Amino acid sequence: MTTPLESVLLIGGSGFLGLHLIQQFWEESPRPKIHVFDIRPLPDNISKYFTFDPKKIITHVGDLTSEDDVKLAIKESTPTVIVHSASPIHGLGQEIYEKVNVRGTQNLIKCSKEMGIKALVYTSSAGVIFNGNDVHNADESWPIPEVPMDGYNETKAIAEEMVLKANSPSENFYTVALRPAGIFGPGDRQLVPGLRQVLERGQTKFQVGDNNNLFDWTYAGNVADSHVLAAKKILDPETVAHVGGEKFFITNDTPSYFWTLARTVWKADGHVDNYNIVLSRPIAIFVGYLSEFFSKLSGKEPGLTPFRVKIVCAYRYHNITKAKTILGYKPKVGLEQGIRYTLDWMDETKEAAK
Amino acid sequence: MELNPELRNAIMIFYLVLRALDTIEDDMSIDPKIKIPLLRSFHEKLLLKDWTFNGNADTEKDKIVLVKFNNILTEYSKLKPEYQDIIKDITEKMGNGMADYINNEDFNLNGVKTIADYDLYCYYVAGLVGFGLTKLGVASNFSDPYLLDHMELSKSMGLFLQKTNIIRDYKEDQLDGRSFWPEEIWSKYADKLSDFTKSENQEKGLYCITDLVLNSMSHIKDVLVYLTMVYDHSTFNFCAIPQVMAIATLAEVFQNKNVLNTNVKIRKGKACELILKSRTYEDVLKVFSDYLRIIHHKCPVSDPNYLSIGIMCGELEQFIEELNPNPAHLPKGVKPMETPNYLRALKKKESDVDMARVVKVEYWGSYIVMTFVGLSLISIMYTCCDILGFL
Repeated sequence: MTTPLESVLLIGGSGFLGLHLIQQFWEESPRPKIHVFDIRPLPDNISKYFTFDPKKIITHVGDLTSEDDVKLAIKESTPTVIVHSASPIHGLGQEIYEKVNVRGTQNLIKCSKEMGIKALVYTSSAGVIFNGNDVHNADESWPIPEVPMDGYNETKAIAEEMVLKANSPSENFYTVALRPAGIFGPGDRQLVPGLRQVLERGQTKFQVGDNNNLFDWTYAGNVADSHVLAAKKILDPETVAHVGGEKFFITNDTPSYFWTLARTVWKADGHVDNYNIVLSRPIAIFVGYLSEFFSKLSGKEPGLTPFRVKIVCAYRYHNITKAKTILGYKPKVGLEQGIRYTLDWMDETKEAAK
Repeated sequence: MELNPELRNAIMIFYLVLRALDTIEDDMSIDPKIKIPLLRSFHEKLLLKDWTFNGNADTEKDKIVLVKFNNILTEYSKLKPEYQDIIKDITEKMGNGMADYINNEDFNLNGVKTIADYDLYCYYVAGLVGFGLTKLGVASNFSDPYLLDHMELSKSMGLFLQKTNIIRDYKEDQLDGRSFWPEEIWSKYADKLSDFTKSENQEKGLYCITDLVLNSMSHIKDVLVYLTMVYDHSTFNFCAIPQVMAIATLAEVFQNKNVLNTNVKIRKGKACELILKSRTYEDVLKVFSDYLRIIHHKCPVSDPNYLSIGIMCGELEQFIEELNPNPAHLPKGVKPMETPNYLRALKKKESDVDMARVVKVEYWGSYIVMTFVGLSLISIMYTCCDILGFL
């Protein structure tokens, strides 16, 4: 018989994806008890996009690498399933990645097992298979590259491996890893806000590369949805064998051209360029080196770097057949709608700051 | 390349019977009291030995098909009984469909209303032909019997062609007082369908075309799957060439304001090139990829369906990568995901090996000939210069 989803402990529940996870579990019927474990409490002002009642969410503030903190939260919340989506944002430095992604995850696995938890859902990242080379229609059989793209993805890959290895039917402990690609949505600090910044700087006319490279963007609500599905499938004895110890790419299932997405964001903000200045990839890389060189002389942040050019020109799209067939995942919010929600949220936060 | 003799006559007779049916339907000089029962019972005429029809106006360009229908009947009776049945069955369905449309006053006055009506209309005029051809292909063992259980694929083969032609023929149909663009789509951009002919509505007209193109593109996946299951080379060509022309036409009409004012067609040379380029499955996929890119890059940001076009092109590009993964795209030791469509495409590609070799030899052959011609020209020029210099 399926174990009913009575309560869930969301590790990293106060973060960007965390709030979407709360929302998605909140909408479940019957609604499970929702507990959050995070280094900080829930934000004071929660966007009107979210409809859950923050007062009904029980927050446990603590350090993920502390056995005492984690065990206390587990004891107080007695979760049917733990969802681990805590991860530092990009650009914080290797030490913090190691701490949260590797040691934090290790500690969580240990505590979960010792406390008799049955299921752990881990938020990995599609970036774990990326090493700078193009990714065309990748499925889960693609290997983790020997040389990772950066320290962040390296630690995510290590953590994912630990989580999946911990899957152990003999101990009645099951794990699953979800690999979302390019998460955006209300609360996003990177994708859509980054593009709005380009618009504010008036740099939208420049196109780097030929705009044939496909990218996956994934709406945060859909990512959260896949977590709920994975949690349910892992608690169901009929499906657990197909889910336990498995990894799944999660996308919006609509790979799109990089600049097409960027222009859609600008268009939603009321800006349309009637012509573009196209810099081909090799030229852009060259300009990137120059700009890096001069910025070193002047001490300013370079706008265009060879690294950024390569990221913007790479193909990175995935095949999510596995998630669709095994988890029954289907993205509910399309890209255009997702972009609208994100921009509305940004406008709302701007209003609130005034 | 000619059609395989096994099917050549059956397909020719099938075509002539439908042409005859169409000639009756098209002729406004025939009294509906005669026309409608004739359309509904036309399939029964196929059982007769000697039947002709002389009731067409002289202006009907194909009236000879009916005047000499007895010759068609003679050939029809020589076909294999299973081929005869297939032709008769489709003739009956199409004749009844045509009769229904003549009786449908709303359709005749106001044209196509909803997208569902649009699909249904295209099903009668093109989807049914697709059904017939699929049945003939399977009966002759040239195509996979799987197609019989998935007739939606055959339907898409017809709908993709028909819808593309309907977009292209806007102006011509307007002049003839007909319209096939569905109101559900055009009403988003205009109050009357004829508004698009006015220059001030040109931009809206282009937006409407984008919307229609998007609707046509929804059939491409089915088309590409269907083509994996046609094994005989001549039948494959017969099926693939119209589809390749359709994607080229779609790219041509997309964002093309001339569609609203004149008759747009792809150039003859282009058409020949496409025929030569669609002999193997991989080549057909290549042509589709190329035109998808053209459509993707042609779409202006201001178009309301800008992102939708991008997503559609991206989705199809991903689908083509699934059908025919580029080995250079896979990391070492990784095999492509063996989806049913991938396996079908693989089987088809294996049956193409001989043809692919022929195409390659031809390519190098023409390359050598062109080089030779080029060198000869240069040497002639040199000689001429020498002579001139000498003089």
